[in-house]
Amino acid sequence: MSDILRKEIKLSASPLAFLFIAFGLMFFVPGYPILCGVFFVTLGLFHSFQAAREANDIVFSALLPVAKSSVVKGKYLFVCFIEGCALLLMAVVTALRMTALKDAPVYRTNVMMNANLFALGAALFLFGLFNLIFVGGFFKTAYKLGKPFVTYIIAAFLMIIVFEALHHIPGLEAVNAFGTEHLGLQLALLAGGAVLFALMTWLSYRTACKNFEKIDL
Amino acid sequence: MSIVSVRGLTKKYPSFELKNVSFDVAEGRITGFIGRNGAGKTTTIKAMLNLIHPDGGEVDYFGKPLAGNETEIKQRLGYSTGTVNWYPRKKLRDLVDTIRRFYGTWDEVAYRKYLEMFGLDEQKTPLELSEGMKVKVNLLLALSHRAEVLILDEPTSGLDPFSRNELLDLFTELKKEGVAVFFSTHIISDIEKCADTIVYISKGEIVAALPKEEFAVRYSREGESLEDTMLRMERGERNE
Repeated sequence: MSDILRKEIKLSASPLAFLFIAFGLMFFVPGYPILCGVFFVTLGLFHSFQAAREANDIVFSALLPVAKSSVVKGKYLFVCFIEGCALLLMAVVTALRMTALKDAPVYRTNVMMNANLFALGAALFLFGLFNLIFVGGFFKTAYKLGKPFVTYIIAAFLMIIVFEALHHIPGLEAVNAFGTEHLGLQLALLAGGAVLFALMTWLSYRTACKNFEKIDL
Repeated sequence: MSIVSVRGLTKKYPSFELKNVSFDVAEGRITGFIGRNGAGKTTTIKAMLNLIHPDGGEVDYFGKPLAGNETEIKQRLGYSTGTVNWYPRKKLRDLVDTIRRFYGTWDEVAYRKYLEMFGLDEQKTPLELSEGMKVKVNLLLALSHRAEVLILDEPTSGLDPFSRNELLDLFTELKKEGVAVFFSTHIISDIEKCADTIVYISKGEIVAALPKEEFAVRYSREGESLEDTMLRMERGERNE
């Protein structure tokens, strides 16, 4: 593990960031917008940023013998680590719902979004949105958290509504596939989510490095 | 031989400006950076450590620019910017356990030695330490990885006279081992006691950067102490 990620986990991280990974289990909940689980995971991350700011973590990190860009890298590695853990949990739940639980009446009669590969792709997209809007927004000042988080909340809930609505649009029912139905489409949507996550995170990281270099601490 | 070279640093704030700050820090010497509160000492030191982004100028360490060589250079520096104002509720032991991993040259023996010398308890948190003890924590960290250059912002502020004396004696010991010490202060007696070179800043401009003896010859009037000379210079009365 890199020293800067270790520092993030050992010193900067709020316990809530780890605890809220459990919201990945919301992928089990029927009759509820399961992508809210993604939001709660990012809420834990937000709390971590808030706690780190109160501990003057950015100055502490900048005083370590690392380049300023490594301070940014540490934050992104930590965020991606938590998101990765949550996604893994969601993937396990999704795998169960796609196999052993695929015919469970409680899920078959569920009017909300199904937990399938598309849902995982959507979760990745929302994590990417968090990295782009919140983490990138934070590094414009390395201090202000409120505005980027509120902007992210608005964008995330709008996207959750869109994702929840998609399978109700005639012709798009396939996005709500059960089991291995429409597997090609499901895999393509998951891959699309992964690509968008990678693009948004990379773009955000690059911009954050440039912005942070110019910030006076 | 110059080990740190500051050239033409400028930084403009709405109510303050750092103007073309240039000086050198020599190997194995103690350089005192003096100026009144608000003269630009901390801004200069922060720019030297890339904590603020200067509008112009550059800082070289060991003949290499800081920009592009930050990680390598910072491994060879010991630095503190005033007091410990981060992670107030973490135990010193946990903070050190994280910090030591970043230094390839971390010296556990030196760490234990200075921990004892400074009377610090690893189980305490910064919140439980006095301001003077917090300064010592910063020094402890700076001294525990065989730094070749120490850059310290007001390390004697908040220390009692005994600790201050101990610290200045320590600087002299480190100098004998070849370590360059650059420290800012507004306490003129600190400079009188141990500095070889004086860098004097006033209103964001370097007034003088000279060996202490030469400074006295150039600026002091007959029978005048260094303190009186500087007080007079701050009033704008200079005799060059």
